[in-house]
Amino acid sequence: MEKPTRYLDHEWGACEDQEGPFHACLIYPDVYEVGQPNLGLAILYRCLNAQEGMSCERSYLPWVDMSALMRESGVPLLSLESSAPVASFDVVGFTLAHEMACTNIVEALDLAGVAVRAAERDEDDPVVIAGGPSVWNCEPVSPMFDAIILGDGEDAIVEVCACVRDCRARGLARRELLLELSRIPGVYVPSLYDVVVDERSTRWGYAVPKPGSGAPQVVTKRCVADFAATDPLPQTIVPYMGIVQDRLAVEVLRGCARGCRFCQAGMTYRPVRERPRAQVVEAAERGLAITGYDEVSLTSLSTTDHSGCAAILHQLNADLAGSGVHVSIPSQRLDSFGVEMAAEVGGARRGGLTFAPEAGSQRLRDVINKNVSEEDIELAARNAFEVGWRRVKLYFMMGLPTETDEDVVGIASVAQRVLDIGREVVGRGYKSGVSVSISVAVFVPKAHTPFQWSAQLGRDEVIRRQRLLLASTHDRDIKVSYHDADVSLVEAVLSKMGRAGFDLVMAAWRHGCRFDAWTDQFDFQRWLDAGREVGVSLEGVASAPMSLDQRLPWDHTSPAVSKGFLKREWRRAAVGVTTADCTMESCTGCGVCPTLAVSNRIEGVRDGK
Amino acid sequence: MASRAEQHRLRVRYGKDGRLAYLGHLEVLATINRSVRRSGLPFAVGNGFARRIRLQFSQALPVGASSRGEYFDLLLTDRVGEGEALTALRDATPAGLAPQALCYVPHRLPALEAWLSDSLWRVELLGEAVPAQLGDAIGELRCRGSLEYLRGERRKVVDLGSALRDWDVDAGGRELAIVTHATNEASLRPAVLLDAAFRLMGLRPPSLRVSREAQWHVGDDGSKLDALGPWE
Repeated sequence: MEKPTRYLDHEWGACEDQEGPFHACLIYPDVYEVGQPNLGLAILYRCLNAQEGMSCERSYLPWVDMSALMRESGVPLLSLESSAPVASFDVVGFTLAHEMACTNIVEALDLAGVAVRAAERDEDDPVVIAGGPSVWNCEPVSPMFDAIILGDGEDAIVEVCACVRDCRARGLARRELLLELSRIPGVYVPSLYDVVVDERSTRWGYAVPKPGSGAPQVVTKRCVADFAATDPLPQTIVPYMGIVQDRLAVEVLRGCARGCRFCQAGMTYRPVRERPRAQVVEAAERGLAITGYDEVSLTSLSTTDHSGCAAILHQLNADLAGSGVHVSIPSQRLDSFGVEMAAEVGGARRGGLTFAPEAGSQRLRDVINKNVSEEDIELAARNAFEVGWRRVKLYFMMGLPTETDEDVVGIASVAQRVLDIGREVVGRGYKSGVSVSISVAVFVPKAHTPFQWSAQLGRDEVIRRQRLLLASTHDRDIKVSYHDADVSLVEAVLSKMGRAGFDLVMAAWRHGCRFDAWTDQFDFQRWLDAGREVGVSLEGVASAPMSLDQRLPWDHTSPAVSKGFLKREWRRAAVGVTTADCTMESCTGCGVCPTLAVSNRIEGVRDGK
Repeated sequence: MASRAEQHRLRVRYGKDGRLAYLGHLEVLATINRSVRRSGLPFAVGNGFARRIRLQFSQALPVGASSRGEYFDLLLTDRVGEGEALTALRDATPAGLAPQALCYVPHRLPALEAWLSDSLWRVELLGEAVPAQLGDAIGELRCRGSLEYLRGERRKVVDLGSALRDWDVDAGGRELAIVTHATNEASLRPAVLLDAAFRLMGLRPPSLRVSREAQWHVGDDGSKLDALGPWE
């Protein structure tokens, strides 16, 4: 068996007292080292364990060697803390981290011996819930869940568990319990909705509440208005094994209003809420002392946008000097400030510097609302080489709406320009060590973004454009890597399907798909076979555009960004008009603040460009 | 910052026990590093770019093996009382890796990994008795000299003449004791020896529970020196 440490538990900081009497188990549908660093799950673990009478444990999906061994020996999926069967918990919660984890959820439920379909669960079975970043088109996986929490889960998960506890105490039947759950704001109970396919919808139809259920027409997400009131230090379990993000994480802000039109997180985590400077510094230092980590990451969707970013970094660097502790930030803004902050945390000796221009031409960057100019890129690159970096990594996307060959060739030109600047600053020749690598993902249209109506570029065309990019790159110091077109195709299918798409997920699982996010486990042929079996053409689904007046499969779940705003953004995209960031300029009318009665909470003044 | 000579070399004996026996060596290192940080002791930090804690460990234990005698040396910038240091470390370390004893040792001693060359192992056979011929089979292997085995995909060779110092087989019982000597070239894992011995006897190698009972240094005159002294 590989890596036994995955199954050890009893890590430093784990909650050992699990007395209940109410028991919840939260599952990240991947192996321990991928799931353990997940901050969302850590937050919910802490929120539930803080409740009187509620206990929360963790579980992860065993790797294929272990699950084979467990099936062979008749051992079901267990929780980590008390090694209790997952099926014995009152509530079992899954993180919907990304689309490619869907077969892992089936696998986890099957291994746990819990009926995979919510409709087939008995009175005594656990209530299976879900939440997380990928709830925004949860329809293809919704038949597995009794309830799904939309948006911030801090308060909602406690309310859901309390509701289950109270309903059970009252002796309510499962059907009644689900009705009660649907009364909680932000909680979507899939079984209370019928899917209607008509001339106003796509082939996947749209969901309407079952007559008499009283379930809301549209379930709107939960949102923590006062982010500063949340625990800044939820992640205090220190793993024994190396995990994918092996460091202390402090969430310094939530939400991003830059408004990139392809970005689902940017639309669904609004409004922008900054954590106060002093709170961030205090939490980071206290967290380091409690956990013993030698690195702290200031996480968020756009850390360098925090109005106190520079001050926080100065303070932490001063306080932690000489202790061998390293401060990191996950992403850099594409301007001089971004470079300055990157230099502040790591210095140029720490590997390469990464930027995300996303598109190769100004025209296309305007289409996607990536408010970065040619000049910004050049200045940032010059700055980075001057401060000492030698390697620059650039992220791009391929297949964005309106993309032409010119834009693809533009990716190579941007890389060449950055490389030329590097050679100009540092000097030419092998020893200068200047290199540029570009990583190109395939655009996947996501629900609740202005690009949700878009089709995905066909697979053959993706491959042709990838070849075009390679052919346009002439310098040996530019390295090109791109995402697998097949994986992106499956991701697009899972992002666009409605509830009937669950048949595809089940068929894929039966064909042996699991750990689809692992390149060595992903098997496109199995997905094709599954598609054939259930009569779904993967490419047909991915490349089907949707029209602006159609009812979409996910219209009944809302991140509070209005459809009108998304349509307006889609139209502005078509003509290449950009939209500003409302934390730096005026309101753009996305609808989140009035709908949720919240507002952006900016600590100081944001330094826009 | 205090120079190396002004730092204090604290030697800690700790165990590896229970479920934590399944930790890999790097996982043990990471966990102890974090325990030291949590302890609040005035640990010294290296001058390299990575700014690591100045810690040295004794030889790696195999995954799955437990131990009652592992060691690390930690450099401190201030001299903390031994009792106080032990309490601070214990309170900050998972029970399965708990420190048992410690003392300050002279700077002149060589690095732990090379210096602590000899180990006493206790090996328990799970589910079966020790075959009567096992002792002879081990003797036969030692006479042959070098033992070749696969570690993962890699072919390894260990010279049993120097690596295997002694063994004590309790025929019909459950356990045996093995004393090994590690050199720069190779060290002998009990499971490797037992595997070869069972194959030699034409038997299927059994499941084992392996535990390191002690480690010590052997002086030039052949005398045994305990890792924790006494020191003059």
